[in-house]
Amino acid sequence: MIHVSNVSVSLGRNRIVEDVSFDAQAGAFTVIVGPNGSGKTTLMRALSGDLPHEGVISINGTPIDRLKLWQMATMRAILPQSTSLSFPFTVREIVKLGMTSGRSGASRHNVDTLPDEALERVDLAGFGGRFYQELSGGEQQRVQLARVLCQVWQPVLDGQPRFLFLDEPVSSLDIKHQLIIMQIARDFADRGGGVIAILHDLNLTSMFADRVVVMHRGRADSVGTPTEVLTDDRILRVYECALKVGGLPGKSVPFVLPQSAVL
Amino acid sequence: MSETVLRKPAVLASAQGGSRLRPEGDRSAFARMVIACLCVALVATVLFSLAFGASDASVLSVVKSLIAGSDITDNALSVRDRIIIYDIRLPRVILGALIGASLAVSGAVMQGLFRNPLADPGIVGVSAGAGLGAVSIIVLGGTFLAPVIALFSLYALPLAAFFGALIFTLVLYRVATRRGQTSIATMLLAGIALGAMAAAYIGVLVYVADDKQLRDLTFWGLGSLAGANWVKIAASGPLIALALVISPFLARGLNGLALGEASASHLGIPVQRFKRIAILTVAAATGASVAVSGGIGFVGVVVPHLLRLVIGPDHRYLLPAAALLGASLLLIADAVSRTIVAPSELPIGIVTAAVGAPFFLWILLRRRGILDL
Repeated sequence: MIHVSNVSVSLGRNRIVEDVSFDAQAGAFTVIVGPNGSGKTTLMRALSGDLPHEGVISINGTPIDRLKLWQMATMRAILPQSTSLSFPFTVREIVKLGMTSGRSGASRHNVDTLPDEALERVDLAGFGGRFYQELSGGEQQRVQLARVLCQVWQPVLDGQPRFLFLDEPVSSLDIKHQLIIMQIARDFADRGGGVIAILHDLNLTSMFADRVVVMHRGRADSVGTPTEVLTDDRILRVYECALKVGGLPGKSVPFVLPQSAVL
Repeated sequence: MSETVLRKPAVLASAQGGSRLRPEGDRSAFARMVIACLCVALVATVLFSLAFGASDASVLSVVKSLIAGSDITDNALSVRDRIIIYDIRLPRVILGALIGASLAVSGAVMQGLFRNPLADPGIVGVSAGAGLGAVSIIVLGGTFLAPVIALFSLYALPLAAFFGALIFTLVLYRVATRRGQTSIATMLLAGIALGAMAAAYIGVLVYVADDKQLRDLTFWGLGSLAGANWVKIAASGPLIALALVISPFLARGLNGLALGEASASHLGIPVQRFKRIAILTVAAATGASVAVSGGIGFVGVVVPHLLRLVIGPDHRYLLPAAALLGASLLLIADAVSRTIVAPSELPIGIVTAAVGAPFFLWILLRRRGILDL
C-alpha cells in the first residue's frame, strides 16, 4: 500500500501541494485528476522520491525517505510524461534498461525474452529493432511503458505488492491504445499490484479507476470511487466548467465514449 | 524530431543475418564482435608503430624481440634498432595508446553525462582548464609554484592539469545543468567563455615566461607526442590508467542517465554520487593527457560518435570500444604526423584537428534537429 498522510510540497517559496492524504491500496487502480496546475505532477514527483516533502509517504509500511534508491526501484516503477533521447538507442535497448534494477521478477528463462514480451503487451511487437528517435510521440510513450513494465514485471514479488506510477500515460495516444494501456494498468492491479495514474480523461477514469483523488489548488478536494467524486457541482467547482455528468449531446452531434468499446 | 532519424546501419542488418536467434534490436553480440576486432586492430597498430619510422626494423623482428624480452643475446634486432625501439618508440607508442584511449573515453563519458553527443572536453573548455593548470606549472614551477613541484615532483604537472580540468568541469556542469536537464546552447556558450578565460590566463603566463619556456609551451600547446619517454609515462600513466579502469563501472549509470536524471534514479541509480565519480573520471583522463601531450582535439568527439553509429550507444560496449579505437587512431595519427613532413615532424594535434574539425561540422549538420531541443 502507498500511504500518503498530510503531505505538503514546496517548490522554492511556493507551496504547490498542501496537506494531501490518501491511500493507494494494492490491487486497486487509483487515479489522480484535476485541472492544470492543481499539483498533480508535483504530488507524483513527491511520491516518486524526487522532491522533498513534509508529512509521510510510505510504501508497504516503510517511509520512502528511509528507503535507498535501489530498494525503491524494486518496489515501484515510474512512467514519466515524455522522454527524449539524444543517442540512437534501439527500442529493445530502451526497454531492456527497465531491467537495470535486476528485480523484474520474471523467471530466469524468461529474462532474455522479457523485453519482447513487454513490447507485445504495449502493442509494439516487432518494433525492437527500430530506433527510438524515429517513432511517433505515442509510440515512444508506449516504449517507455514497456520499459517500466519490465522493472516490475511481476505485480507481487516475495509476497509484497509492487506499484506502477503513471504520469498521463494516455495523453498522446489514439483511442485504441488508450484502452490498451488502461487495460494493462487494470490488469496490473487485478493481479495484486497497485497503480497510481494521473489522467485528464474523466471518462477513462470512471471506466477503469477504483479510487479517484481530485486535486484542486494543491489540495485533495475529495477521495472516493468515481461515482462518489464525479458530480456536477464538484466538476463545476474544480474545473470551473459547467458540465453535466451523464448528459448527452443533441441528437445530431455524434459522440464516442471509451465505455462503448468492446473489450 | 524526424530530422534526427538515423539510418539503420547496414552492418546491423548483416550482423543479425548471421545469427538469426538474436532478437531484433539487440546489438550486444555484434558489439562484442566489434570490440574483438578492435583489440586485434590495436595490437596490429602497436606493432606497426614500433617497426615503422626513419629506421625500419621489420615487424617480425620487433615481435621476436618483444617476446624474447630484454635479453640482449637474441639477434632479432641490432643494438641500434634495440635502442630506437625500446627507448624512443616503445614509450611513445605506450603513451600514444594511453592518451588516445583516455581522450576517447573522457569524450564518451562526458557526452553520456551531459546527454549530448557534442560534449567533448576539448570543445567545452575542460581541456583549456587542464592546459591552464599545466601551463601554470611549466611557467611558475621554478618560482612561485616551486613548493608544489618539491612536494609532488614529476606528478605536479599531471595533478595541476587534473585540478584545472576538474574545476572547469564543475563550473561547466553548474552553469549548463539545471534540475537535471542540460541546456545544449548554455553548455556550448559556457564552454566558449571558459575557453576564453583559460586562454587569457595562459596569455598572462606566456607573457612572463622566458625563452625556453616559450618554446616548450608552443610545442606543448600544439599537441605532440614527440617528447614521450618513460618518465612521462610514469607521471601521467597512473592517472590515465585509473580513469580507464573506472570507466567500465560508469556504463550502467550512463545508460540510465540517457533517460534523464529522474528516470535514472527511479531505476535505482544513485545519480548524484554517480555524477561526481563521472566528473572526476573525465577530469583525471583529460588532465593527465593534456599534461603530457597538450591539446589533441576531436578524438573525444569523433571516436564515440563513429562507434555509436556502428554498435549503438550502450555504454557497456561503447566505453571499451572507444578506448580501443581511440588508442589505434591516435597511433595512426602519430605515424602520419612523424612522416608527412619527414625528417621533421608535425605536432599530432594538427593532424587530429585537420581531420576531426570537418567531421565535427558534419555531425552538427546532421544532428541539427537535436541541437534545437
